[in-house]
Amino acid sequence: MKEYSFQSRTQRYKLPNGITVLALENRANPTVSLSGLLMAGDYFSPANQHGIAGLTAGMLNKGTASRTKLEIAEALESVGARLAISANTFTVSVSAQSLSRDFGLVLSTLADELLQPSFPADELTKLKQRTTASIKHNQEETRVRAIERLTQVIYPPQNPFYQPTAEQLLNEIEEMSVDAIGTFHRERYGPGSLLLVVVGDIDAESVHEQVANLLGDWSGPAPGAIDLPFTPLQATPTREFVPMKDKPNVDIVIGHASGLRRSSPDYLAANIANRALGQSTLSSRLGLKVRDEMGLTYGINSAFMESGLGDGPFLVSVTVAPSNVELAIKASLEIVDEFVAGGIRDEELQDEQSAWTGSFKIGLATNSGMAAQLASAELHGLGVHHLDIFPELVTAVTKSEVNEAIRRYLHPERATTVIAGTLD
Amino acid sequence: MLFKGTPTYNKRAGTQIAAVLQRHGGVFNADTWNDRTRYYEMLPREQLELAVHLEADRMRNSFIADEDRQSEMIVVRNELERGENETDRVLDERVWSAAFREHPYHHPTIGWRSDVEGVPTARLKEFYDTYYYPNNATAIVVGDFDERTTLDLISNHFGPVPASPRPVPPMYTVEPPQEGEYRFILRRAGQLGLVEIAWHIPETKHPDTPAFVVLDQILSAGVSSRLYQALVEKQLAVSVDAQSCQFRDPGLFRIDMTLTPGVKHETAEEAVHGEIEKLKNEDVSPGELTKARNIIVSQLIYLRDSPLGVASAISEAEAVVDWKFYVDLPAMVEAVTASDIRRIANEYFTIDNRTVGYFIPKE
Repeated sequence: MKEYSFQSRTQRYKLPNGITVLALENRANPTVSLSGLLMAGDYFSPANQHGIAGLTAGMLNKGTASRTKLEIAEALESVGARLAISANTFTVSVSAQSLSRDFGLVLSTLADELLQPSFPADELTKLKQRTTASIKHNQEETRVRAIERLTQVIYPPQNPFYQPTAEQLLNEIEEMSVDAIGTFHRERYGPGSLLLVVVGDIDAESVHEQVANLLGDWSGPAPGAIDLPFTPLQATPTREFVPMKDKPNVDIVIGHASGLRRSSPDYLAANIANRALGQSTLSSRLGLKVRDEMGLTYGINSAFMESGLGDGPFLVSVTVAPSNVELAIKASLEIVDEFVAGGIRDEELQDEQSAWTGSFKIGLATNSGMAAQLASAELHGLGVHHLDIFPELVTAVTKSEVNEAIRRYLHPERATTVIAGTLD
Repeated sequence: MLFKGTPTYNKRAGTQIAAVLQRHGGVFNADTWNDRTRYYEMLPREQLELAVHLEADRMRNSFIADEDRQSEMIVVRNELERGENETDRVLDERVWSAAFREHPYHHPTIGWRSDVEGVPTARLKEFYDTYYYPNNATAIVVGDFDERTTLDLISNHFGPVPASPRPVPPMYTVEPPQEGEYRFILRRAGQLGLVEIAWHIPETKHPDTPAFVVLDQILSAGVSSRLYQALVEKQLAVSVDAQSCQFRDPGLFRIDMTLTPGVKHETAEEAVHGEIEKLKNEDVSPGELTKARNIIVSQLIYLRDSPLGVASAISEAEAVVDWKFYVDLPAMVEAVTASDIRRIANEYFTIDNRTVGYFIPKE
């Protein structure tokens, strides 16, 4: 099996200007997937400029020093290639897919967008208009509103997981200028934190050469560091209601700051615990009781949302008809309480270990799946080798480690409950 | 109800269907759509027999018990309520209901609320005993497997399942030609206005289908597409999409858009009609045709990256015409000409054949 390991098949290069390139050949299909990231996400937004990371990423394909937006789009669309750049909480992520013969076009377009964006003012006006509409559209969703309110209760306003109100966000976006975007780009986009992972029908050595040719001369600011304190658990449980009109379905979220990051030593144990509790609506404890047995909901699950570079929230989320809200909250909390008190069962542990390693393998069946896993391993400093040993690591987690993680990370007794929808 | 178990796979025996599949890291579910119901699972290849055995078993041995129906009804009703929360879905559902008066595409697949609430278990059982038979099913396997062994596996598990005692009833309702435009307004709470326009188009096996598939791309694939340029670029809409909906029976070609705040529904609708008139009067360019074909063909190649993606595409093709449609599509698309596009635009995109729905947010 050794010769098929990711470690032995993946080429890793570091360019002198700091760009990291991972390339993995997979000749099964004449396509190439690219997954990339750099440190220019929301966390790095200046005060009162929420949304600037997303607008900057969104402006990259709206024109460069040498090409208009339409020319860029025409070139990619005419060969059926896709290149998307978007901002997340901490990173900007790049994802692209093309036929292998068009990979050069994708990479040169990406380089052009990263290095020479022209940020045309009329395009910013249009992008702001679409972003505003999309925020308003999202505000109509009960789930979005419930999670937004939860983050406002459990995180301080300066924390990247705190979601500002739509009103504040819209006002700040309205004020955003091309100068501000240009400044953010100049100060945050640089080669030092750029990671490019390329998987597919392509020669690994030529990927290295092409990246070096196109991006090797790029100089820019040193990557920004993340210095984020852990968010403490709130002292007491609270309940909030977000009233909305004409919504036959109610979204309920019950959650708290998780205290869990990818770098936490018990990250795997905590995730096995969550899988048993609520990862799957059809087969986890919450789903078996609240959906399958009580028939209250189409969807119930629990998750560590964004336990990555930061400690995002842990939450249980359930949708119900307005008349079933209290019943669903009571039932969900009882199950979490029971899980915390009694811990995971032996057969749950075994099932979840086998489920996680199985779904991990299935996720690696596609070029884009492999690219995403490689990028994540690199981002968190785990190395390519992590993909080879991941199943062993999951299988090695013990029952007492999981139970320890349950006690450390799940706190239903102090959780905030938010109900969003139409209740009379 | 088909996840509630059989004598072999059930919660009491510790072999609940979802738990057994989940244990192996499976991606699995079932869904319903206009012409078909489908059950699928993607598993590590060692578990192929589990999937085949499970599907063969639940095809005829599912409990469909009355005590399960009440709880499952509320689950499905909540799924329906979640759909009703989304204004764009509600508008689309009403466009289909307006456009189809006689044919069952009039009904949303999830059903109407009172039917979901009221349907008796006996009616579910009757449906199961009418349609869930091997002679009305297609098994599709995609991935890394040995052909002979797999065919034997399917034969061993599905072979003993009896064929239906009576022929599967055919669908014989035909939607008559629409005689004049249908137009309606949906009003409820919301922030952004929506417009949806739809025309009846022929069934998938009709020779005009490839031209509609190409036109769908020319109208709305990407920034360089016609509708994006005419609506989003001109700041009339924040998004626009065109979709050629291919089914076993005649379906719809639909265009939907989310309006830029402050823009009148009529103004955006007019802009769409302007683009439709252009299609009727002028040939699309060779560049547009090539681009559309390239997009369609590359999408099909990307799909091959994922076994579930390929299985899904083949199952949809089989449901609406024949699995070979998936294989033949690139060649069919290659043969589409500019005059085909102009002809279908003139033939189908008429006023009498269209349905227009507006969603107007309530103050």
